[in-house]
Amino acid sequence: MAPTIESVYLGNGGLSEGNNKRSNRFVKATWKNNLTALVVDNVELCRVLERENLRAYGVETVAVETGEAAVELVASGSTFNLIFIDIYLPTMSGPEAVRQIRAMGVRSKIIGLTAIITEKDEQDFFAAGIDEFYEKPLDPDWFVPIIREVDNQI
Amino acid sequence: MDGVAQLQKQLVDFTDSLFQEGFLDEQFNQLQQLQDESNPDFVVEVVSLFFEDSERLLNELAKALEQKTIDFRKVDAHVHQFKGSSSSIGAQRVQKVCIAFRNYCEEQNIEGCLKCLQQVKLEYSLVKNKLETLFKIEKQLIAAGGSIPT
Repeated sequence: MAPTIESVYLGNGGLSEGNNKRSNRFVKATWKNNLTALVVDNVELCRVLERENLRAYGVETVAVETGEAAVELVASGSTFNLIFIDIYLPTMSGPEAVRQIRAMGVRSKIIGLTAIITEKDEQDFFAAGIDEFYEKPLDPDWFVPIIREVDNQI
Repeated sequence: MDGVAQLQKQLVDFTDSLFQEGFLDEQFNQLQQLQDESNPDFVVEVVSLFFEDSERLLNELAKALEQKTIDFRKVDAHVHQFKGSSSSIGAQRVQKVCIAFRNYCEEQNIEGCLKCLQQVKLEYSLVKNKLETLFKIEKQLIAAGGSIPT
């Protein structure tokens, strides 16, 4: 089912949303497939950087502020190849959002994010269903290989 | 050396010093690389967000540590967020204090936390100052008809 990303209004203010993708001449990587990502982070600064980093590497990216918004988006039929989600979200936690998303049968690559990795957080988040766990910020050194892997598996 | 060349040199030298003195790390370079013609003010906008966030977090931290009974989970949550945002823009010295701060939170060490609060306030004001100077030189360079070296 085609992603309905363009039709979703996110309204998270701050820096202009613009399109979900960058025009080709500013993109640092191209992929075999049309890749899509969802970013879930309550901190605007982090969310904006995560989104722009992914877009800079040719991934059509949408960003939301809460676990609820992420779950709702997925439940409404939007599909993503990659989901980057912070562990600490205000109402519905990162792990809870991941649990609900997985319960819907979503098999996307889910990358959990945190500012400081702790053993307990790692256990909780993996138990909820993430595939990888990384400390912020997004660095091309580790996220580009993940994108490549996903691209090759499609 | 003409005006533009002089300003360009000033900008390069100043930026280099910020990296050498540990105020900024590689993440700041990554941030600059996200700026281009489609996103021409990206760095300034993101750094402004960082300033707003940081000031709010510092207020929250001061308030939380003034309480009769300190809620360390609250302090920890703020420090965690501060570490996340400072590392995202490459504010290395601020980030380092946040790591130490978090350890004191875990130990519920009030003295340690108060010390770290003072330290993080100081490091934040230093890097804020440095970044504002950086942006000022960039503005002067552009006004003089130059462009920012990539």
